[in-house]
Amino acid sequence: MNNASLPLVEVNHISKRYPVLANSSDRLSALWDMLRGRAPTRHTTVLSDISFKVMPGCSIGIIGENGAGKSTLLKLITRVLTPSDGDVVTRGSIGALLELGAGFHPEYSGRENIRLSAALYGISDAELKVKMPEIEDFADIGHYIDEPTKHYSSGMIVRLGFAIIAAVRPPLLITDEVLGVGDESFQKKCSRWIDEYVNSGGTLLLVSHSMYHVQKLCREAIWLHHGRIEMQGDVFSVTQHYLAWHESKRVPEKSSVPLDCADFEYGIETLLCNGSEPEGELVCKFGSDFLLDVVLTSKEGTAPVLMCGWGRADGTSVYGTSSEMDGFVARKISNGRYAFRLLFPKLNLLPGSYNLRVHSLDPTGLRLFQTRHLDIKVIGESRAYGLVALAHHWE
Amino acid sequence: MKPAYRSVFRELLRRELGERYRGSLLGVLWHLLLPLSQLLVLSWVFSHLLQARTQFENLSYAAFLALGLWPWNLFSNAVSNSVAALTGNAALIGKIALPHHLLVDAKVSASVLLDLAGFAVVLLALILFGTQLHFSGLPVVLLSLIILYIFAVGFANIVAVLNVFLRDVGAAISQLLSLLFFLTPVIYDLAQLPKTTQQLLLLNPFAAPIMSIRHAFLGLPIDWLHLGISALFAVVIAYIGFALLRRARPHLEDYL
Repeated sequence: MNNASLPLVEVNHISKRYPVLANSSDRLSALWDMLRGRAPTRHTTVLSDISFKVMPGCSIGIIGENGAGKSTLLKLITRVLTPSDGDVVTRGSIGALLELGAGFHPEYSGRENIRLSAALYGISDAELKVKMPEIEDFADIGHYIDEPTKHYSSGMIVRLGFAIIAAVRPPLLITDEVLGVGDESFQKKCSRWIDEYVNSGGTLLLVSHSMYHVQKLCREAIWLHHGRIEMQGDVFSVTQHYLAWHESKRVPEKSSVPLDCADFEYGIETLLCNGSEPEGELVCKFGSDFLLDVVLTSKEGTAPVLMCGWGRADGTSVYGTSSEMDGFVARKISNGRYAFRLLFPKLNLLPGSYNLRVHSLDPTGLRLFQTRHLDIKVIGESRAYGLVALAHHWE
Repeated sequence: MKPAYRSVFRELLRRELGERYRGSLLGVLWHLLLPLSQLLVLSWVFSHLLQARTQFENLSYAAFLALGLWPWNLFSNAVSNSVAALTGNAALIGKIALPHHLLVDAKVSASVLLDLAGFAVVLLALILFGTQLHFSGLPVVLLSLIILYIFAVGFANIVAVLNVFLRDVGAAISQLLSLLFFLTPVIYDLAQLPKTTQQLLLLNPFAAPIMSIRHAFLGLPIDWLHLGISALFAVVIAYIGFALLRRARPHLEDYL
């Protein structure tokens, strides 16, 4: 039988409605509805009309803001929940890491909890005997393995849960925000394991708010928004649109409170990029000069400090510096007004979306006052990887 | 590949058996001590304070009570322990899609196994103290216990599901069980009551199995008609329990 061409999971037009249980009479009427075989009369829709397929060997990240329905979707796939409409067809066993460690009984030791998990994953006693040292080794929690899990830290629970998964190696791995819990070294160990698992033919469904993990571990992504699929496809394009949407959500909130430089002890009076007032997204050619002209105001009449930082659109910082760090003293143009000119010759940021933040600081460079954001798109031809073109030559 | 439900059930059962006494000093002894003290108090109150009499000439009241108390406890403990079978395992149900009846089955089985063991010990004690028990009646005893077990499974499923929707069920069920205890001929002998009261109490489907166990051990005739009706009743209750669990299955997670 050729299973390779059949999807592991087929989600067909599923919707999920949760009953509203505001007061106890709702529970009674829900019971009555259930007995008559009807859907609950009062409900909220969490997911509507979701369809996608998970083919063997693919890795899909599910992203979306809080309450978008990501965890509900995973629970529907693992059949913990039953869809209100549509159906989910699954093939093969599913290693669900949903709410990792929640299936652990707090009174039982780690080892005893492993036994039940192993039985749930269909591992026989003989197999478990072989795998137990491997699990203990991966979890790496020492003597805690024989302590009741209620004495565990949240990180230890994740370690144990992940160790079981690593030993079981299910054909489909479903994880819900697992990587964010462990410490740095365990996170690395987990992402390395998942990476290796995906590369050797494993199939992954990952829910995460960390675009870094999604981009690193997944090749495709699904963006859920208010219970619907907003976008689906290549991981980079989906995550970029998702981040762009978050940015756009943030900007109107900012502009709704107009801030004037006069509101600040040290304010930003004017900001010119390459000689003109920036409007919307600034387009800049890769390798061309980038000039900032800034006038800061100072109520006290002492020379303020200008700080400016580059970041990628996803929030990764690229470079930041200040006039104080560089030992530059602003030119006083009139009472309480100071001019700064900052040149980035032959800007070597690689093509992509960036933002530039300009801050006004007090003369000591310690307290931050006003901030202006600029969106900058660097265009041009470059096939290099990363953020910055480092000076280099071949010999 | 489905999880091997048999080994899942075994693990759950192991848990249930161990959990009851986790962190307790006397462990499994509790399961013998509690009913024994119950037996002691009840037999003292009824035989000495209330001068209770039974129709059985050569049978002490304590022995009479013991033969009814353990079968009743087998049913009643199984049901009251199962109330939280689903609500208490919400974390597990929310993590892995396993058949819900496994959780109820594990609770009932653990409870029944412990009570059976207790019953065996009590029977042994009765024999050592010189009570004449007719072991030719064992098949009837077994049959009656099976009827009680089927009742227990049925009611366990019903209360476990209802408790998911309405958490009052847990509190209500222990009250109802203790009321039912007094309406079942455990502490008194039906034969000594007026005919009409006897007819009325025999409407209680638990009366026949309890009485049959006692009669079988004492070599007395069995009321097959009422035992048969009870068996029928038990099957109907069990069916209702299964049907309810099946119907509720898609909704349970929403209310846990």
